[in-house]
Amino acid sequence: MEQLNFSKVVIIMFKQGLSVMYREITYMWRDRGLRNLLLIGPLLGLFLFYATYSAQAIKDIPTAIVCLDRSDTARQLVEDMKNAEYLKVIAYPPNFQDLEELIKNGRVVVGIVIPEDLGQKVALHRQATVLVAVDGSNMIYATNAASAVMTVTHTISARAGINALVSNGINFSQAQEAYQGINIREEPWFNPTLNYAYFLVLALTLNIWQQCCTLVASMNVIGETGRRSWYQIKASGISVFKLFFSKSIVQVTMFMLLVLPIYIISYIFLHIPMHCNFGLLLLFTLAFTLALHSIGTLASSLSHSAIDSIRLGMLIALPSFILSGYTWPMESMPHYLQQAVKILPQTWFFQGINYLTFKNPGPAFIGHYFLILSLTAVTCYGVAAIVTLRK
Amino acid sequence: MPPIIEVKDLLQVIRKKSVFNGVSLEVQAGECFGLFGNKSAGKTALLHILAGIDRFTAGSVRIMGYDIRKTERFKSHLGLVTQERSLFQDLKVCENLDFIAALKKADSQNIRQVVEQLELQSYLNEPVETLDEGVYQRLALACALVNAPKLLLIDELIDGLDFHSYKLIAKAIKNYLSTGGTCLWAFHRVKFSAYMDRIGWLDKGEIIVYRPGELIKEYRNIFQINEKHKLLH
Repeated sequence: MEQLNFSKVVIIMFKQGLSVMYREITYMWRDRGLRNLLLIGPLLGLFLFYATYSAQAIKDIPTAIVCLDRSDTARQLVEDMKNAEYLKVIAYPPNFQDLEELIKNGRVVVGIVIPEDLGQKVALHRQATVLVAVDGSNMIYATNAASAVMTVTHTISARAGINALVSNGINFSQAQEAYQGINIREEPWFNPTLNYAYFLVLALTLNIWQQCCTLVASMNVIGETGRRSWYQIKASGISVFKLFFSKSIVQVTMFMLLVLPIYIISYIFLHIPMHCNFGLLLLFTLAFTLALHSIGTLASSLSHSAIDSIRLGMLIALPSFILSGYTWPMESMPHYLQQAVKILPQTWFFQGINYLTFKNPGPAFIGHYFLILSLTAVTCYGVAAIVTLRK
Repeated sequence: MPPIIEVKDLLQVIRKKSVFNGVSLEVQAGECFGLFGNKSAGKTALLHILAGIDRFTAGSVRIMGYDIRKTERFKSHLGLVTQERSLFQDLKVCENLDFIAALKKADSQNIRQVVEQLELQSYLNEPVETLDEGVYQRLALACALVNAPKLLLIDELIDGLDFHSYKLIAKAIKNYLSTGGTCLWAFHRVKFSAYMDRIGWLDKGEIIVYRPGELIKEYRNIFQINEKHKLLH
């Protein structure tokens, strides 16, 4: 008889948790704005970012050449620039002022000025200067443009040097050897083609996903305590722990279900590299999800209104990707900022994702990432529980 | 038999403002105790303390013998109808009943009983936010009764309702009391005092307990004195 009563109590207790879970799913599903944001936002981001970086590298950089010299050397230089892999010569302005105008109004990014005495100086084996102007207003464009021009100018410069040595009586092969004494071979690892899509698409999409998750998590506590229905919950006697534990299970499961298609589509359909074990990747994402959810829960327990909580959550989530060191190396940040951003789980997540997807460092290397994310979750959930119990 | 509600020297201070200055009252099992007072006299604040929603500064409150500062066990024997719309607005009528029954660990068979009693059958699939006041209050009472509580706390339930809902609610409360339930009912219109066995008049943080007839008499006295005072000046 006692055993029967005990089983009945257990079933009722379990039912209580299930009812909270069911209501949480109902709430999330019936809130059309939130539902669309969660279901469409990250996937739309994935497709848009993939479309944006589908070229994989910046090619056909619009270039203008001001050629003030009519020598063969100048013609050869123009020809070399035209044949350069990433440059596209689209204009031949007659003077420097016109070139300046073209760069200012954004029609060209690279401007090359060949001086009128180039051929003469090369013939006399004197130092000749060719001006290469790059529009620095767009850093990514400028870096790629400078790199593309450098490849061409290195070759041209070497050729001029060899010619100078030959004219000084050194035979051609010796002159060539002198320039090829040290063969510096660039070999980018993990992303051999320096593909922007591989580097950015998944990270940017995960950034949208983590922002959506923060939005939901930052409503976890205040979404209950800030409503009048909190009276019903408080008067019912359900334990606060059970209530928020059940709600959190739904939210964390939802976050994981949302990230799953992002990984699958990225890997299978968009062929974004994912060198690590898929199980490890999911486990790592789960650790981050818990840490992220705990921060949102803490924000929602500290806030006085839902709007305040969302503001606080977004204040953390929005800049976290930039601060994570994914796009700008953490070592190049001031020391105090490096220490500060290490508190954010996003820093560890984006760094970890980069290691896992490109380098597959193995569980041992990523172990301390798990530890830090878990500590964040335990700390934030703990503080949130203390704050919420006092409400 | 110990009283169902036992409040001793209740002191409540919110933002340095005193809400209760040593309120004491006892409500016996099977009694319908009225809590009368003007708006903002502190009726809702007292009900929220008794329901374990709000904390209090000093004194002691025991519900069914449980010290409410030490345990929440009393909540499983409690039904609450709040003055504000505190049901789950995003859920339907049936979902509210199911959810509140689950929260209170109530037997799901009780749901059918309260639905029939308060004639909510045709509203079960309606969202709560679209219900008119009468149906909403019927549902609020149904949710409060779903766990067959020993103590029912009601905050301003039947004011401004349609006649049909008024009748159903009055009947349901009468039934509840006839089965041995205890009720503490806050109201601010003196005409409702006829429903109560005893009434506590809450004013300026203190409470004085009357029989219904005494309350009406006292109320009229004060009202007439005030009227005369107005006429003289």
